[in-house]
Amino acid sequence: MSEYKDDDILVCRCEEVTLGDIKEAIRQGARDVTGVKRRTRAGMGLCQGRTCEKLVQQILKAELGNLPEEISAGTPRTPVRPVTFGALGGSGNDE
Amino acid sequence: MMNNYYDVVVVGGGAIGCGVAYQLSKKGLDVALVERGDIASGTSSHCDAVALICDKKPGIDTTMGYQSILMYKKFAKEFSYDFEFRQRGSLYVCETDQEMDEAEKYVKQQQADGYDMRMVDNYEMGQMEPYLAKDLVGGIWTEPDSSMSPYKLCYAYVEEGKKNRLKVYDRHTVKEIKRDEKGAVEGVETDKGVLKTKKVVNCGGPWAAALGEMVGIHIPIKPRKGVILISEKSFKVINQKVHEFGYMLSKFEDINYKRNVSERVEMHNVAFAIEPTEANNFLLGGHREFKGFDISTEIDVVRAIAERGIRFFPIIKEINCIRAYAGVRPYVEDHLPIVSEVEEVPGYYIAAGHEGDGISLSAITGRMMMQIITGEETDFDISKLKFSRYKKS
Repeated sequence: MSEYKDDDILVCRCEEVTLGDIKEAIRQGARDVTGVKRRTRAGMGLCQGRTCEKLVQQILKAELGNLPEEISAGTPRTPVRPVTFGALGGSGNDE
Repeated sequence: MMNNYYDVVVVGGGAIGCGVAYQLSKKGLDVALVERGDIASGTSSHCDAVALICDKKPGIDTTMGYQSILMYKKFAKEFSYDFEFRQRGSLYVCETDQEMDEAEKYVKQQQADGYDMRMVDNYEMGQMEPYLAKDLVGGIWTEPDSSMSPYKLCYAYVEEGKKNRLKVYDRHTVKEIKRDEKGAVEGVETDKGVLKTKKVVNCGGPWAAALGEMVGIHIPIKPRKGVILISEKSFKVINQKVHEFGYMLSKFEDINYKRNVSERVEMHNVAFAIEPTEANNFLLGGHREFKGFDISTEIDVVRAIAERGIRFFPIIKEINCIRAYAGVRPYVEDHLPIVSEVEEVPGYYIAAGHEGDGISLSAITGRMMMQIITGEETDFDISKLKFSRYKKS
């Protein structure tokens, strides 16, 4: 069914999640980007899915044939990019 | 296909619903678990990851917490899906002598009940947590306290349940609870069909009240928001859950004590709590506010949490925050979950209202609900958890 064959290919580089891991998550019931994320950690790393999200969406589509709105996207959250706790919680705006 | 008959239909695929469904299926009952989204897509994936006794009040609250931890230890050995259970202990830290006095009273009560909890001084805390701020008075060390992945816990329950024929209807939204002419439950109508059953368990967490309205009962659960910050992967900043004793003050309104904190921290009811994850990130909280079902991550709250975190672990100033997230807890005024039948609606049961203790208490809640439904004797007196307690007064 899927055109993606090599299960050892890394999809999420930050968390070292492979294509095989993502297919297994789909077998366990993941139906969207967030479902894959929780089951595999794909998208939980330093880049927060900026690199792998499109790939995960493609894999979901290839495996399930779902519509884009079903596959959806990750939830964008603060902060936009990594920022130190010091910058967030330091006194005043010294950073 | 959806017209099968089930002995019990459990509504809500979070830690409580999955735990209840698992226990019932293990007894040989035919169980359906209905969830409007994915398993663990509500509170159980927008929370922290601990099972503690040190944040419980003495009595049934602590009994349930401790029994749950013992059950998780067993599940971790038996279940085929790894939910990352770890027994690391936890450390409550006190900023002032007044907090220490309160903490000591609390520990004495818990020790008298036989729990493994003891006071530690500044020096011992420094040994346990080398990066902890040096000016703290002391704290409470609780050995049994544990952690796990909250959403993996849900997946683990479901995978075990499936071995006992548990049927999962994820992405099915409950529209109506069907009742016969006498008012007893006879089915659950979803957007994709009807499930016939004589017993339904409301495990809706913060959304339990809406499921109550479907049978005309008022369940006094309301959403209580919490924001958490996630760090990048780092060196080992902490070895266990560490939180401030002031956390108890933010959780229980009846404790009268005011901390010396900034306006921002005070305004958002932020109390320091940090915990390690299996992936070498840490989670930094904690926050409690009533904001309806809004789970946005307000920057002012994020700043307050970071500020309070730095006060206890100054070293995190240099570590990156990669994400903030928020969830809603199912809050009840008397801080005890509802685990009960509903007398006025035969066949309708509630297991909800755990506030921040759903992960902590899912194991024992599943067991208690199984005992209520099968008519087995409960392990201890659970009359305080009855729904009927809200009818008195």
